[in-house]
Amino acid sequence: MYMQGLANFIDDFLGGLILISYALVVGSMLWSAFILKVWSSESVSHESVVRRGVGLLRAGAIALAVTQGLKLVIKAAVLTSVLGEFPIEAYIGTVQFQAGLVRFLLSLGLILIASQLRQTPDKQFSWNLAAILTVPMVISGAWLVHGVGRFEDREQLMTMTVLHQFAAAVWFGGVAQLLSLWHMSRRSHEAKALWPIAITRFAWLGVSSVGILLITGLPLAWTYIGSWDGLFGTGYGSLVVTKVILLIVALGFAYLNHRAGRLWLGQRQTSGIDQKVPHYIEAETFILVGVLFIAATLSSQPPSADIKELSATVSEVAEMFAPHVPRLTSPTHEQLLAGEPGRVAVVDKIPSPAATEWSDYNHNVSGLFLTSMGLIAMLSYNRRLRWARYWPLGFVGLSIFLFFRSDAETWPLGPIGFWESTFGNGEVFQHRIATLLAFALGVMEIRARTNREAYRLRYLFPMLCAFGGILLLTHAHAEFELKSEYLIQSTHTAMGLLAVIMASGRWLELRLAGTDENYGGYLEGKIAGFVSIMAMFLIGNVLLFYREPLF
Amino acid sequence: MHQSIAFRRNKLVFLLFFICLSLAYGERLWAHAVVTESSLAQNPIQPNHATTVVLFFNSNVELPLSRVFLVSKGDVFHPVQIEKGKKPGEMRIHVPSLAPGEYALKYKVFAADGHFTENVIRFHVSEPR
Repeated sequence: MYMQGLANFIDDFLGGLILISYALVVGSMLWSAFILKVWSSESVSHESVVRRGVGLLRAGAIALAVTQGLKLVIKAAVLTSVLGEFPIEAYIGTVQFQAGLVRFLLSLGLILIASQLRQTPDKQFSWNLAAILTVPMVISGAWLVHGVGRFEDREQLMTMTVLHQFAAAVWFGGVAQLLSLWHMSRRSHEAKALWPIAITRFAWLGVSSVGILLITGLPLAWTYIGSWDGLFGTGYGSLVVTKVILLIVALGFAYLNHRAGRLWLGQRQTSGIDQKVPHYIEAETFILVGVLFIAATLSSQPPSADIKELSATVSEVAEMFAPHVPRLTSPTHEQLLAGEPGRVAVVDKIPSPAATEWSDYNHNVSGLFLTSMGLIAMLSYNRRLRWARYWPLGFVGLSIFLFFRSDAETWPLGPIGFWESTFGNGEVFQHRIATLLAFALGVMEIRARTNREAYRLRYLFPMLCAFGGILLLTHAHAEFELKSEYLIQSTHTAMGLLAVIMASGRWLELRLAGTDENYGGYLEGKIAGFVSIMAMFLIGNVLLFYREPLF
Repeated sequence: MHQSIAFRRNKLVFLLFFICLSLAYGERLWAHAVVTESSLAQNPIQPNHATTVVLFFNSNVELPLSRVFLVSKGDVFHPVQIEKGKKPGEMRIHVPSLAPGEYALKYKVFAADGHFTENVIRFHVSEPR
């Protein structure tokens, strides 16, 4: 069962990685065509810049081959684990396997071509071949999406989803290429010369992508969701809402980049385009990675339109987030353990109020930690309150709390001993490591915030927040009790969204306001940092008022 | 220990530590193909009579890669035969003769878009009148 869980997780996570790799390939092809103009006889970019773009195309193709190949293997492992056998013929006969294999082979072909292009970036024949392989790669995606399993409007839904994915890929791939170009421009005159031009050229490509995203996204949302309760009362709908919010944030960054590009075009102002835009693009990348992972997760959710009678109402969802008096008393271990056999039974299942209260208490106290940390972190922006910089100490306190509360039946409070529980149960082992890491993160973040020497350490926090947020979003899935699970999931989704915002805000703060007060984007950096802290405060609030439905 | 309660207890840690999170989903399965209609709702199972239960899914299901179990009291699992129905998404489950009591059908189905779904339908077999 444990290996099954791991295989399931990897399978799910790979979905997001496949989308990112696919976007790198498709976006790089469009980048080469419209920004570098490799097919144009007049305005060809410098060879070194094209080679750099090809490098990212190749990296995307390698990543796609690896992730898609791994997906085929992991899916086989999941099948074996779930079914207790491996029906190889049936597996090979599925559309999923065949479409996945086609994509895998096409990406192998692209790796070869991209390798050739790195040697001879001006070889038109290789570019034509790369384009010829990219087209079926895009089309093969039609058999890897929700629509393929539908009974009605199957072809239209498949087509619409493929176009939607294509537009997202152009956006993300282009942003990744911009980032790569900026890094190159710090040591290459050719790249530096292209940088502002690329920003302005990419603007219309980005706008076209957003247009296609909207044109295809709206009918898809209408078909798969179909009602307000479906939008706010199901996992599928809430992920769509989250995706839209993140897209709006990403669009905000895209607008700032576009504006800086126009200022450069009109007045040759370089401060914005050189100092702020690169970091806005970094933050936009964070957000778009989150969006792509959400898109991958959507494919594992039942569409809202199919579970109308199992949807939560908008008021039930609102109740999950409404302020309550936090539960600060917990049931005893004995009460919790007494209810567990009935709660986990398939037949004669009996909901356990003790388990619910236990969970509420854990969430609410964790929320108390985070809310307090958020408040103190806000105070830390006042330079006179230097003690407030030590707010990450809260993580240390939180780790101690989790150490005692994570596993009721194990040491120190439960009957099962430390070694026996830690190394005898994989789940307890994970909790021990997680607790240790929470402790370590608290200590490291204090060092990062109070010691200027620990420069690189500072990036650990936003990176972990981004990963954590993405994982909360990607694991927003429903199982046995769709409605109850969704109500719990709605809090995960909200926290995942806030964690991604927290990560990109902190990242921007470090990049724009981390070194020099005279830097062009210092004020914007501080604002982003405060938004990040606000997001942490709100995560604390979600936990503080959490109330688990009894099921 | 059941997976989901531990998951809920440690949500905050999940937020911060992806490595540990990656290992923490022991028994969960994707819920993509969902049952939209079940014959159990209209035709409850009669005691001591073998029955065919019909389920309709919202998506095409790969039958050779799907399994259904009858679960009886004490969570004892018995595999049952399944076959494709005539309509899209229809699955026919052959349930053996059952004594009055509480039961469940646990299904693990592989949807056409490649996602596994595991779920439970609980039902009651009444005493004969």
